Amino acid sequence: MSGAAVYLDFAATTPIDPRVADAMQSCLSPGGGFANPASIHIAGRASAALVEQARQRLAHLLGVDPHCLIWTSGATEADNLAIAGAAAFRAHRGKHLITMLTEHKAVTEPFRHLEKSGYDVSWLKPDADGLLAIDELEAQLREDTQLVSVMHVNNETGVIQDIRRIGEVCRAHDVLFHTDAAQSVGKLPLNLSEMPVDLLSLTAHKFHGPQGIGALYIADRPGCKVLPIMHGGGQEQRMRPGSLPVHQIVGAGTAAGIARDEMAEDLLHASALRDRLWQGIQDVSGILCNGGIKHVYPGILSVSVPGVEGESLMLGLEPVCAASGSACNSTSGESSYVLRALGRDDALAQSAIRFSFGRTTTKDDIDVAIERYRWAVDHLRSIAPLHSPGS
Amino acid sequence: MFATAAYNEAVRRHFADPQHAGDLQKDHDLTLVAEVSESAEGAHIVMSAGIRGDTIAGMAFRVRGCPHLIAALELACRILTDQPVASLENYDSANIIQELSVPVEKAGRILLLEAALATLWAQYASDED
Repeated sequence: MSGAAVYLDFAATTPIDPRVADAMQSCLSPGGGFANPASIHIAGRASAALVEQARQRLAHLLGVDPHCLIWTSGATEADNLAIAGAAAFRAHRGKHLITMLTEHKAVTEPFRHLEKSGYDVSWLKPDADGLLAIDELEAQLREDTQLVSVMHVNNETGVIQDIRRIGEVCRAHDVLFHTDAAQSVGKLPLNLSEMPVDLLSLTAHKFHGPQGIGALYIADRPGCKVLPIMHGGGQEQRMRPGSLPVHQIVGAGTAAGIARDEMAEDLLHASALRDRLWQGIQDVSGILCNGGIKHVYPGILSVSVPGVEGESLMLGLEPVCAASGSACNSTSGESSYVLRALGRDDALAQSAIRFSFGRTTTKDDIDVAIERYRWAVDHLRSIAPLHSPGS
Repeated sequence: MFATAAYNEAVRRHFADPQHAGDLQKDHDLTLVAEVSESAEGAHIVMSAGIRGDTIAGMAFRVRGCPHLIAALELACRILTDQPVASLENYDSANIIQELSVPVEKAGRILLLEAALATLWAQYASDED
């Protein structure tokens, strides 16, 4: 990355902590854990010990038993395994599933795939602040409902759902509850030993670990099980076949340990940065904070303004690296389905900028973002037509 | 996002400092104004041409659109200023697309520029009638 870049896209991925990189490098060295942990010789057993040490660290972060964690390639695979695997395991009991319109595509797409396979999916709409109304969830539960999936922290807005309350409702109806916690693990306190969560997806690169490694938590309780969606070797309790990437797992474990130790400090830091950023731009004419400020993880601030085009706003922001409200995987400029579900019109959704920051972000970074955002909005408004088409 | 939307130096220069953005001075024999838009929420252009005799004496634009469109409008204004009015007729933006290295999937947006210029020409032609 260019030295001049100001990286404020932590919700997309976080920079690897140098301590994590060191641990991974040690693992990749000749005397490190390069051997296949499934091998029963000395070198294999050494690698397996590293894998289990990392699993324990991650388990410690989540307050769970290590055997409840299945290593995956990331949150997308964990989401797929949880949703498709749980639906398959309980298909004989019913085929009704519930999720939200504001979920990440790693969740919505598996549900859409299941819909095509004959499952009935209820898609819940959030309120204007992005929150799920618990009574709306209760109203949708049926005799044949088997799974509810609601993400913990929304990747676009930072909105925090009340997963304890959602889990309680699901438990009361004998329905499995899955949460995509890619944006919250390592950032917000989570003690799953005292929360009614059955399945939880995570990925290490959102908390300063490496990309390409994640995990699925599967609660150890009756009726909570998933069927594998891939078939091969017997790794990971026959749940997820494939040779384990030891160096990435070591990196994930190290990152989990650091996150646990430094979470309180990281949260305070993120809150101070968010407040500084919002104070610096809140008087921009017409600005809206997507998802509000109250029920939001402080490392994410999503804002929209009327009268500007999203892609031009992104270029005007340079050297700040943030995310746009336009679809990540599209060149069409299609606006965010998440923000539209919150009631934003296409123009406001398309002008959305998501700033996200964390441990390594400085006040100077935020000040650059404030200066560039204000300039970009002023500039684009100064050259814009004086009225909307058709008005 | 916008994985293919890299911006060359010309796009960056015209985007940051579009000399023809704004409104036209009203000291011309004839002022033509064209307004075109992609959709209610998409790109929106207001383009003006000041005519003196049979020459385009000045041009200006206002736009809500992507960086390539902003740069294309600025470039078109630079190219067409001081040219015969007939230059507006059937204007081909291929040279602008090339100079700005507009990605293939965004070339359609640049056609809005051609639509605006065609509207200006139609106004001129009808005024001449």
